[in-house]
Amino acid sequence: MSDTNVPTSEYRPQASEQPPTRTTSPREWVRLNLFNTWYNSLLTVVLAPLVGYVIYRALRFVFVTARWEIIEVNLTNFMVGTFPRGELWRVWGAIIILGLVIGLGLGVTSRASAETARARGVAAGTSWSLVARRAAPALLLLVALVVFVRTATPLLLLAAALAVAAGGYVAGRWIPPQHRRWMHIAVVAGLAGSYVVMTQFGGVNLAHWGGLMLTVFLAVGGIALAFPVGIIVALGRRSKLPAIRVVSMLYIELIRGLPLIALLYMGWLILPFLLPIGFPTPGRTWRALIVLLVFTAAYVAEIVRGGLQSIPKGQYEAAQALGLPAWKMMRLVILPQALRNVIPALVGQFISLFKDTSLVLLIALTDLLGVARRVTQQPEFLGQGLHAESLLFVSFIYWVGSYWMSRESQRMEQRLGLGER
Amino acid sequence: MTDTSTSLIRDAWKAGGTGEEMIRCETVDKWFGAFQALRQIDLVVGRQEVVVVCGPSGSGKSTLIRCINRLEKHDAGTIVVDGIELSDDVRNIQEVRREVGMVFQQFNLFPHLTILENITLAPRQVRRLPKDETDSHAMELLERVKIPEQAHKYPAQLSGGQQQRVAIARALAMKPKVMLFDEPTSALDPEMIKEVLDAMVELAESGMTMIVVSHEMGFARAVADRIVFMADSEIVEVGTPEHFFTDPQEERTKLFLSQIL
Repeated sequence: MSDTNVPTSEYRPQASEQPPTRTTSPREWVRLNLFNTWYNSLLTVVLAPLVGYVIYRALRFVFVTARWEIIEVNLTNFMVGTFPRGELWRVWGAIIILGLVIGLGLGVTSRASAETARARGVAAGTSWSLVARRAAPALLLLVALVVFVRTATPLLLLAAALAVAAGGYVAGRWIPPQHRRWMHIAVVAGLAGSYVVMTQFGGVNLAHWGGLMLTVFLAVGGIALAFPVGIIVALGRRSKLPAIRVVSMLYIELIRGLPLIALLYMGWLILPFLLPIGFPTPGRTWRALIVLLVFTAAYVAEIVRGGLQSIPKGQYEAAQALGLPAWKMMRLVILPQALRNVIPALVGQFISLFKDTSLVLLIALTDLLGVARRVTQQPEFLGQGLHAESLLFVSFIYWVGSYWMSRESQRMEQRLGLGER
Repeated sequence: MTDTSTSLIRDAWKAGGTGEEMIRCETVDKWFGAFQALRQIDLVVGRQEVVVVCGPSGSGKSTLIRCINRLEKHDAGTIVVDGIELSDDVRNIQEVRREVGMVFQQFNLFPHLTILENITLAPRQVRRLPKDETDSHAMELLERVKIPEQAHKYPAQLSGGQQQRVAIARALAMKPKVMLFDEPTSALDPEMIKEVLDAMVELAESGMTMIVVSHEMGFARAVADRIVFMADSEIVEVGTPEHFFTDPQEERTKLFLSQIL
């Protein structure tokens, strides 16, 4: 771009032109916001002690009365369920491999976006406080897990995984742009590699996966597969070919008309009989993943269809007039805008999928919530009423995951909304 | 048909510009449901000729030029663009669209891409040219429409006039042989019309074949080789600006001119 002589600095107003800053003292703030009218004063007087009491009880429970030893003793159960303890090295191996490729991916994308920002002459929007705020939910979860760890080995392995991820990030930043496409292959290879480590060469069948590991597998797998399938079905529903349109519509209307629990039971009990004889029946966990995928894809399709309808006809015509073939028009012009318009709804659907994975405990899989139910039945904790501790712990994990997705979606909206100012 | 309209048909067949034929429409019909939008349209446009199409709204002007790059499919008759006859064959349509650039009333820039990306998208994706080449060509075009400093902004950050000039640059990036303009200044604030017309005048002087649907009679008078007047889905009169403004033959033309001038 150096040959084109484009001014790259943005106009900034001089100090004298900047708007006046207004300051309020805390005392003034309280008066303006809590005691500005008689009924607001009344509300403040009534609600303040109530809120204070609830916060006090919650903090007292978490830090004083709660018997967290049920989590301490069962931490491995919460993480991996009934996964054979002799094979735990596989899980750590997979975590380290995934850490490497995730770090690599983050490194490559951060360099790419910094380069784009430089080419466009806008300030690259990364500062340490921003990074810290982005990572806050993950750090919170990490802290919550680490306080319950009783031996040194997991901490060392965790540190190793983080170090590998950091190494991957540095390596990713170092990769020059022309080799960037190899990153996608590296990420796919990493996913495949971790799967092989987990299941092959005397590895552990998916039926024995459990706990947080199973929840993450179902959620990430479900989201990653439901997204492209949903887009294809949405395009199918708008297809000019009647056969494709009717099939897509039947699929959407049928799946949306059934409860997820019914579908999960069907996947568990009926699917094996529907498969052709001699066709290997996928394991229970795979069937659960397929059901979650099929269920979510139908909703994603309708959300994406809404996004497609929000794109004005002129965008299609401009792309056609330029001679773009239909699929390139969709991929480069229509879908980027359509998907951007529906990010909130899409992420809402994915958050809902993340939490709905807990329903697999109905088909005898032991996910995170399943473990939380089971540990209270253990002989040493039976009848001691420690439901609150274990439920609070898994709820916190669900909440962190959902909150993180929600935050990332807002960030993405802001970043992609750049053109809509 | 009266004697005058026979002479008008002759005018419609007489290609201007270099005299070499660029676009030929023969007895073109177009229906929207039960409504006939084009009725027996005959028009030949020569290479390097500038034709301005005017007429009351709903007279089929936009439909006519949208048929030339197949945004609308004509129902009868033939349309030939640079030797390629428009048919249902997708490859044919793509080929024609590569040769024909179009500028819309509502600009229709891609809001999620920067100005530079808007301009280079089609050359890179359709013509498969390398990035360096399309980038420098795009900057040349932005120089030509006088907004090189906007290259890295997004369409929404530009004024209407600037957006329309980007739209012209975007169409030119495909190095088209013909440019179609569908009321390019109708959605603009008055003070921005001139900058867009200036860019179009410059383009006309460079020898581009152009069909312009417009109510800008000043532009038509200054730049057009021929003016086509349409009303009620058909071509009523075709003539040089001089002939058209000073000596219109048809009653409907006279009425139209009396209303807008």
